[in-house]
Amino acid sequence: MHIQVENLTHIYARGTPAERVALRRVNLEIGPGERVGISGPTGSGKSTLVQHIAGLLVPAGGQVLLDGIPAHARTPEARARRRQVGLAFQFPEAQMFEVTVFREVAFGPRHLGLRADEIAARVHWALEMVGLDPDSFADRVPFALSGGEMRRVALASILALRPRVLILDEPTAGLDPRGRSDLLARLRAWQEETSATLILVSHHLDEMAGLVDRVVLLADGQIVADGPTRRILGDCSRLRSVGLSPPPGVALLEALRAAGWPVRTDVLDIEDIVSEISQCVFNHQDMKTRSFFNC
Amino acid sequence: MNLLLPGMYFAADTALHRLDPRVKMGAAMVLMMLPFAARHPLGHFLTVGLVGTAVVLSRAPWRALLGTLRTVFWLGLFMFFFYFFTTPGRPLVALGGVTVTLEGVLAGALQVYRLCLLAVIAALLTYTTSPLQLTHGLEAMLSPLARLGLPVRELGMVLTIALRFVPTFFEEMETLSRAQKARGVDLSSGTPWQRIRNTVPVLVPLFLSAIRRAEELAVAMEARGFRSQPHRTRLYRLALSRANGVAVLIILACGAIGVLVR
Repeated sequence: MHIQVENLTHIYARGTPAERVALRRVNLEIGPGERVGISGPTGSGKSTLVQHIAGLLVPAGGQVLLDGIPAHARTPEARARRRQVGLAFQFPEAQMFEVTVFREVAFGPRHLGLRADEIAARVHWALEMVGLDPDSFADRVPFALSGGEMRRVALASILALRPRVLILDEPTAGLDPRGRSDLLARLRAWQEETSATLILVSHHLDEMAGLVDRVVLLADGQIVADGPTRRILGDCSRLRSVGLSPPPGVALLEALRAAGWPVRTDVLDIEDIVSEISQCVFNHQDMKTRSFFNC
Repeated sequence: MNLLLPGMYFAADTALHRLDPRVKMGAAMVLMMLPFAARHPLGHFLTVGLVGTAVVLSRAPWRALLGTLRTVFWLGLFMFFFYFFTTPGRPLVALGGVTVTLEGVLAGALQVYRLCLLAVIAALLTYTTSPLQLTHGLEAMLSPLARLGLPVRELGMVLTIALRFVPTFFEEMETLSRAQKARGVDLSSGTPWQRIRNTVPVLVPLFLSAIRRAEELAVAMEARGFRSQPHRTRLYRLALSRANGVAVLIILACGAIGVLVR
């Protein structure tokens, strides 16, 4: 699906003393199958922006077009587009209400009006996608699961809608490190299988690095940077200026560079960072050796 | 805070905000009673004049005040037509067997006027008095009942907490209904039965989080040493200043004139 955000403005509590502009004239275009990360400090408008893309909010100005159709319109065409956009809110496990995991994940597909066997197949697929064994989990009570399992069930209930655009708002918040990396790996696998559009909202830049090809930075309701992941995440000073902390590896390279070592800073993978540093150290020693013999 | 409910407090520094909560609550009661007790137009003029002055003093935004009138719109409409059709008197027009009388129109209008005043007065009280002050004032006014064994302070605490969480719950309900919409439920369409069923995905998580929140709050309060003891001191004590005395005099005078002049 083709997503176009045009001059989007959003104002909370309009006309009251608590009025606050959350987005100001934002323009953004996301093509089908793109993997985009949206980041920015707290209150920068990330969550508001993605809720607009899902057609859940009405713009105060501008519009969001899904395949050319306004996302919040009350027409059947717009509704059909909205159904293809899956949005997992922050702490999605807070929305659970059903008595079994199966019914929880089946909630969305049931509202799509699917047949019972199709619903069962989707639930099965979605639970497997998030790494939960359907046979042992389907009949369990969602509220008796661990935090990480609840999060996965909540994500499965979105995946079961088979969205063509999946938006995740801070999907790893509150998970332990293993839970985080596992969830991100599952998402990567899901994206590769379905080649759907993936929009990841997070202020953990390092976990974004391995999952998205493009990063959009928001600050104070405006887009301040938009480009390939390497370029955006490698620019420590810009990240700091909007109030984000650069990925640790990039920060290390930057510190080395500041200390006079000729390293590149637009490297994100741990292995690449290691090879960049070791190569630099190796060259340096080589030079020292040579200058020693020249003397 | 993403939404402003009718009747929500907003912080400002006006004469009305600074007034003692006990005085404000007493004044609100007198003013709410006046449109019913007054026999002479003078009483009504005084009431409208006082409420109007209070509106100007409070610097409440017009939009917000009109919002409170919207909450009584249907009730007002019903009351108007109820009196409109049922009051006997001089007939004006006959609408298919029902006779509309001049007295009916007047009586209906009077009810709507009273209702609007009540709504505006109640809104003004909550606009200019923080929930904390409101319960503080209520506690002070109920304190004589403490001698009879009524746990006034505890009731005050319960009220404070309840008021504190009203906006939180509305916000949470908003978020939940959007989250369920994102899962494919259309909450605003379908048959009435479907619509009722569609509230389940919002209400169940809402109550769950309310219970969880209550538990956490109870633990947090206990951890800070909260016990239901009679002797707790306050950071802010209520004290009646001269301005409060003037306000009391004005209200009492207007109340007396309104009730006594016929």
